[in-house]
Order: sequence, then structure tokens, then C-alpha cells
Amino acid sequence: MTLFELVIRSIRKNIKHYYLYFFALIFSMSLYFVFATLQHDSSIVERMGADVNFATSFRVAGILLLVIVAIFTIYANSIFLKRRSKEIGLYQLIGLSKLGVARFLIIENMLLGLGALLLGIGCGALVSRLFLLILMKLLGFDVIVGIAFSAAAAVQTVIVFAALIIFTSIQMTLTVYRNTLLELFNAERQGDHPKKPKTVVAAFLALLGIALIIYGYDLSGHMVNDMLFFNMLLVLLSTILGTYLLFRVTIGWLFYQFRKRKNGHLGLLNSLSLAPLMHRMKANANSLTLITVLSAMTLTMVALAYSLYFSAESDTRISLPYDFVFENKEKDAKSFGAELEKAGIRFDHQPVDAVRLKGTIRDLQGKPEESTQGMLFLPAEQLQKAGMKVKVPPKGEAVLYDARVNLEGRTDKEGMGFPKEIVLGKRGETKMRLTNLVVQYVMNFNVYGAQLVTSENTVLELANNMPGSPGYEKVRLDTYQVPGKAERAKASALYAKYVSKDDFEPDFHTQYEGALHSLGLLMFISAFLGLVFLISTGSILYFKQMTEAEQEKRSFKTLRQLGFDVKDIMRGIVRKQLFVFAIPLLIGILHSIFAVKAASILVLSDITVPSVIAMAMYALIYFVFAVLTIGYYRKIVKNAMS
Amino acid sequence: MNDINSQKTVLHAQNVRKTYGSKGSAQQVLKGIDLRVLEGEFVGIMGPSGSGKTTLLNVLATIDRATEGTIRIDDADVSKMKDAELSAFRRQKLGFIFQDYNLLDTLTVKENILLPISLSKMDKRMAEEEFNIIADILGIKELAHKYPHEISGGQKQRTSAGRALIHRPSMVFADEPTGALDSKSASSLLGTMEDLNRKRDVTIVMVTHDPVASSYCSRVVFLKDGQIYSELYRGDKTRPSFFKEIMDVQAVLGGDNVDVI
Ligand SMILES: Nc1ncnc2c1ncn2[C@@H]1O[C@H](COP(=O)(O)OP(=O)(O)OP(=O)(O)O)[C@@H](O)[C@H]1O
Ligand SMILES: [Mg+2]
Repeated sequence: MTLFELVIRSIRKNIKHYYLYFFALIFSMSLYFVFATLQHDSSIVERMGADVNFATSFRVAGILLLVIVAIFTIYANSIFLKRRSKEIGLYQLIGLSKLGVARFLIIENMLLGLGALLLGIGCGALVSRLFLLILMKLLGFDVIVGIAFSAAAAVQTVIVFAALIIFTSIQMTLTVYRNTLLELFNAERQGDHPKKPKTVVAAFLALLGIALIIYGYDLSGHMVNDMLFFNMLLVLLSTILGTYLLFRVTIGWLFYQFRKRKNGHLGLLNSLSLAPLMHRMKANANSLTLITVLSAMTLTMVALAYSLYFSAESDTRISLPYDFVFENKEKDAKSFGAELEKAGIRFDHQPVDAVRLKGTIRDLQGKPEESTQGMLFLPAEQLQKAGMKVKVPPKGEAVLYDARVNLEGRTDKEGMGFPKEIVLGKRGETKMRLTNLVVQYVMNFNVYGAQLVTSENTVLELANNMPGSPGYEKVRLDTYQVPGKAERAKASALYAKYVSKDDFEPDFHTQYEGALHSLGLLMFISAFLGLVFLISTGSILYFKQMTEAEQEKRSFKTLRQLGFDVKDIMRGIVRKQLFVFAIPLLIGILHSIFAVKAASILVLSDITVPSVIAMAMYALIYFVFAVLTIGYYRKIVKNAMS
Repeated sequence: MNDINSQKTVLHAQNVRKTYGSKGSAQQVLKGIDLRVLEGEFVGIMGPSGSGKTTLLNVLATIDRATEGTIRIDDADVSKMKDAELSAFRRQKLGFIFQDYNLLDTLTVKENILLPISLSKMDKRMAEEEFNIIADILGIKELAHKYPHEISGGQKQRTSAGRALIHRPSMVFADEPTGALDSKSASSLLGTMEDLNRKRDVTIVMVTHDPVASSYCSRVVFLKDGQIYSELYRGDKTRPSFFKEIMDVQAVLGGDNVDVI
């Protein structure tokens, strides 16, 4: 028999063992191909070609994808190798040299890989159209695009794939050369046995794990200051370390205490859940930590991206309360109004006469809180007419409107430290009470100056009394609101010519479209990566559990012979699976809730709903894997007796 | 010692047949076995390799089903029971000692032993008492919190025996319990089993190759080609003389470890 025949025969005989690894390869290949196809797709490149962000996002996402795919494949390969270690040992036992075995494995790996590559590209080509449609929809283009098979994407996939096959082949060779025959034969039976933890040290580490996580959570709540980056790193480190300790020590320690208290009277359910879990605590700690941390990251990424996308409109509206604003361009404003009328577009026009000044805000003790800044005094009565919900402050008092206080990391939340004092004029001779802060804008954010709302009379007074003060300027703001969505788009086209290139005078519609594009892309990429990641971690857990199930087959047989029926045994297994799947998920969700909360300052709108939706989706898909493993266990337990 | 007529029948097998394979290549392994086991008996089943000992034991122990015939244990017809009923029956009434122990690696000695009563409503104090008694008899009390990989083969087999006895079963089935043990641990285990059989009136059916092992029994049934070939009662004989008798029958049968077809 030639080596080649041996390879073919071995694949055919062990095809059941191979399907896991084969599936992992196909999955990796097809997803990578889909991604590469989108990257090279002409209909996307045409539309987004000029956008540098777009290309960069895709490139970064591509690298991330590559990392995930590589980790996943290598992990699947290591499980595959472990399952076949006896076979590998057997080849050596019947006289094949290590070189021969390695060569045999590599040839086999290449054949498998080639099959997976073809199938992967085939599957990828089939589904890439679907992904393209989703992307276009998210970006707000409603065009049906035919997708041609992308040769460039195929080439890119082949290159990546070749690298992966080389990696896995090295991995296989190392397995053959590094392990003795005995190790190969015993590889499947390895597991660590629960040892009595050193009580004091274990208790300390167990508590430390929890403490580190709590510290991380706490710090994440107020990390926006000068040391933002350092804080982020600290949060990340302490939560990851805490999570590891949680799995490695805390949970093991709790289990140990629980089991000790049972004094041998463990019961069937615990014998089937707690005991095997403790048996593999060390190995499980690593993978569960990895899965928890990565789940948390994915969840955060997906929830945040989805929230940003979901909030694109409301966020834009918060920044730009008016559809169009002309600052000191009365003539342009008039002609714009005329054009709107001519085009038959319904609109509301409201001029706002404001005054801009330079001044400082300080507390009543006279300590200046900030350096001198531009201030825009807006008349409340006129804002009301323009449709803003504002109260008219009493004469001589002002209220600060700012939607971004959170992002700026200022600690003075609504109502904190007020009243304060505004100091104006050359020598600070004019003073005004600042009574409150409202987290909202009443003027488009691009109009320069802190937005201070006073009564109309107060603005008039300032206009009359302050000429010559630093930064004094009368500002005429013509605000336009166009209620109809389609009409607003038309109006936006008319508005474009009034904006000179150097000025930043965005209108609502244009800004919103732009946000939709970049956030849609962000959303797509994070959802795509999230999906890949979810399926990879889910599969890893599934594969791991499959291997465990096979290892426990004998125990199931014994239990069945002792008279426990499938139902009894399954109850214990379900409990174990719940732990294996639910604990990382729950802790991951908890982590991500704090992470999303910390990052939510990026978003002006409330993101509870979209985050909850994203997390629920994630949990749902995750649980499909749990159900799959339980199904696999059931099959094994059912057939254990025969 | 055993007065056959006044004692209760625990197990009664009638015309038990077992056929493996489908029609074309059917092989009848058990060819009509009739066997009655009385309460408190210690029955050994011997016979050449391939004669059907394991098959018979599995069928009697309800782990496998007979193709034909009836089996009654404690007056219940187990051959007619459904799988679920059978499981519950096994769990409550029967105990098993396997050749390769079949302990759960993930459980300690004590946890393994207590497994059969893990679903019963027995309260913890009683279970603890029961465990102490059995662990004392088997001499494994000190090992209670050790894992199977930390103890010797003989100790594992004792643990397995403990697991078979903890729930006070009507019958204990053992398939070559001494097969993996050296002669010293084997005789120590067998001595304990004999003790248990006498003191606690446990009914035991044990398959074995080893004439020494079967000399501990109160009766030995010889199997050949799926049929009962002969029976020997120990009666008041000493163990060595019973052993000689067994050897004699075995010589006629074709000896140990020899396939007789
Ligand atoms: N699951 C099975 N399917 C088909 N044939 C079987 C099966 N189990 C056992 N046999 C056959 O039944 C016959 C009896 O087997 P059994 O295991 O009962 O023998 P045994 O007396 O226990 O032998 P040993 O002393 O070697 O353990 C053998 O010929 C065997 O090949
Ligand atoms: Mg046998």
C-alpha cells in the first residue's frame, strides 16, 4: 500500500472524526471568502471608494477576522489531533517512522484543506450576495446588485488558507515529534483531578478575583479624565485577571466547599455536573475565561455599534435641533426661503437674535472654573417660537444648555454646584447668575459659543450695554425646519450651495446621511465579526463538550447498568451544560453591560433598548449551541448500553 | 447450611434463550437455561470461554434481554418489563460488580459507593450509617475521600462491591470480579464476599473462570455451549475439598481458558 492509499483509506474510515475539523475549515474559509468578496466588490467600491474610513475599517476588520479564523482553526485542529492521538500512536507502533507519520498527516491535511477550500469558496459565493444586500441596506443604498464571482477574493482566500494549512501542518508535526507513544495513547484520558485547595491561599485568591472584577466595574464608571487610556487598560486588566481567578479559583473553591459539606452524599445530579466540572477545572478555567472575555468584547462591540446605528437619527437631532441654520447670512437665508417656497416645500422659518460674548463661569466663592470661553446668549422666547422646549429664565439669570457634558468628562451634572456666576466685560464688571444646566442643545452645535438661554429682554440689554466688551458680536440666526422627510432631502440639496467649503455649516439631512453611512458600516462589520466570533466560540464549546461526552461514555454506560435511566442522567447533564454555557455568557454580559455603560457617553441618546436587543440576540444564538450539545449528549447516553 | 426446600426463591429463570445476529447468521448463545437461585445463595457460574457466562449473567441481571424465556426476580417477571421499569428495578433491587470496576473517575470512593441511593429518599443519616457498616466490612473506610486513580485495583474492586451493596439489593451480580486482581487481593475480596453472603444474607451470582474463586461459592453451575452441564453443591465441605471437586468437573469440561466447540 502506498502512502497515498493509506491516506485515502484513513480519511474514509475516520470520516466521523474528521467532520468536526472539516466543518471548522469550511466555515473559516467561506466566511473569509465572503469578507474578501465584499472588500473587492465593485458596487461597494464605487459608492464608498473615496471614503478613507471605509477602506481602513475594512482592513482592520479583515485583520481581526483573520485572527479569529486562525485561532479557531488551530483550536479545532488541536482537538482533532487529541482525538486521533491513539491512531497516530498506532501508526508508529506498526512501524511507520515519525517522519512517515508526519508526512502522512500533512498530505491528509492538505487533501482535507483542499476540499474545504473548494466547498468554502462555493458556500461563500452563495451567501456573499445575501451579506452584500444586508450591507447595502444598512448603508442606506437601496439598489439590487448582481454579484459576480470575485477572482481577487478567491486568490486572497487561497493565500490565507495556504498559511493556515502550513500552520496546522506544523502543529501536527510537532504533535508527532514531541509526544512519546505513551502520551499519545493516554492523551484522551488526561484530566486533572480535583486537589484539596490550600484553604487560606485559595480563599484569598477567590475573594481577590471577585474584588478585581468589582474594582474594574467601579473604575469603568468614572474613568473619563486625563488618564483615560491608562484607566481603560487598568479596567481591562483587572476584569480579565478577575475573571480568570473567578474561574480558576473562586468557582473551584466554592465547588470544593460545597462538595466537602456534602461529605460524599453528592446525589446523582451533582455527580453528573459538579464532579466532572471539578475534574476539568484547570483546563476549563482557561477556555471559559477566554470565552467570557471574548464574549464580553463581542457583546460590547455589537451592542455599541448597534446602539450607535440605532441612535444615528436621534443623536444627529440632538446635535442639530434645526434642519438648517444661517448665521449672519440674512440674504442667503431669504433666498433659501424663496427657493423652498418655489419648490413647494413646506417649512417653518424663525429668526433668532442672539449676542455672542467672551466670559468665564465661576462659582459663587469667586473661583473661576474654566478659562475664558465664547458664550452665545439666546433669547428663550424666540427659541420657543422656533419650536425648542425651553423655559424663560427670570430677568438677569441664564441657563446653560449643553448636550455633551458627559463626553467632556465634566463632573457637574445637571443641578450640581449651581447656582454659579457668569462674568463678562473687559474687567469682569458685568455679572449674571447661572442657575442651572440642561443636557440638551437649543442651537445647532456648530454655531460657536456655549449656549446660554436668557429672557429676550436680557439679551437685548446685553446687546445694548456690552458693545466693546471682548468678543462682542450680534448674531442673527435664521433657523429653518422642514417637517417632511423627503422634502428635507430636497431642501438639503438646495442648501448645499450656500455653504462654502471652508465653513462647517452642516444641515440635519446631510449630517444624518453621513452618520448612517459610517455607522452602518461599523454596524455591519461588528455584526459580521460578532457572528463569526459567536459561531467560533460556540463551536469550540460544542467541540469541547463533544469530546467530553465521548470520554464520559463509559460512565454513562455504568450508570445505565446501575439502573439510572436516560431521563435521570440527562437532568445532570443539562445542569452541567447550563453551567458551561450560561456562566461565561452571564459574566460576559455583566462585563459588557459595564463596558457599554462606560462607552455610552459616546452616544447622546439612551441606548438601553438597542443594547438589550443586541445582547438578547447574542444570548439566543449562543444557546442554540447549548441545545446542540445537550442533543449530542442525549444521543450518547441513549446508546450507551448497546 | 442451606435448606433448599424452606428457602424463598429470589431468581427463577425458565427456558432462557439468547440469539445474537439476524436470521442469516443467527448464533444461539443460550440454549434453554433453567436456573433457580434461593435467598442467601452464593452461586458461581463457570464454563469455558465463549460458553455464554457473561451473556447469561447480563440477561439475568436485566442488563440485556433474553430472546425467549421468562425470568422472575423477587416474584416480578422482569422479562416483561418496559425499559424504564427495568431501570428502576435494577436500581432498587440489584447490585453489580464489574470485572473492570467501572467506577466513576470523577467521584471519590464514598461518592461512588453512595451513587445507587442518590435518587432514593433515604435520609442522610441512615445513608451515612449504611456506608460506615459496608466500608467497615470491606475495609475501605480510610479511602472514603480518595479518587479511583489514587487507589489499588483490589481497593477499586472493594469500592465497586460497596456500590453493589449499599442499597441492600435482593441480588448481587458479579462478572469475574477477581479477573483483574492478583491472587492475594482476589482471595481477600472473595473472603469478604463470602462473609457478606453469610452475615447479611446477600444473594450473589458470580461468573468466574477461576476454580479458586468458585470454591468460595455455595453452589457452582457449569455452563457448556449455552447449556447447563452440571451443578455442584458445597454443602458442608471444606473449601479445599470443594475446590478439588470443581477441578474434577472442569477437567471433564475441557479446562479453563480452552475453547471447546
Ligand atoms: N453482542 C454480541 N453479538 C454477537 N455475538 C456475541 C455478542 N456477545 C457475545 N457474543 C457471542 O456469544 C458467545 C458467548 O459470549 P460470552 O461473552 O457470553 O462468553 P463468556 O462465557 O463470557 O466467555 P469469556 O469467558 O471469554 O468471557 C460468544 O461466542 C460470543 O462470540
Ligand atoms: Mg465473559
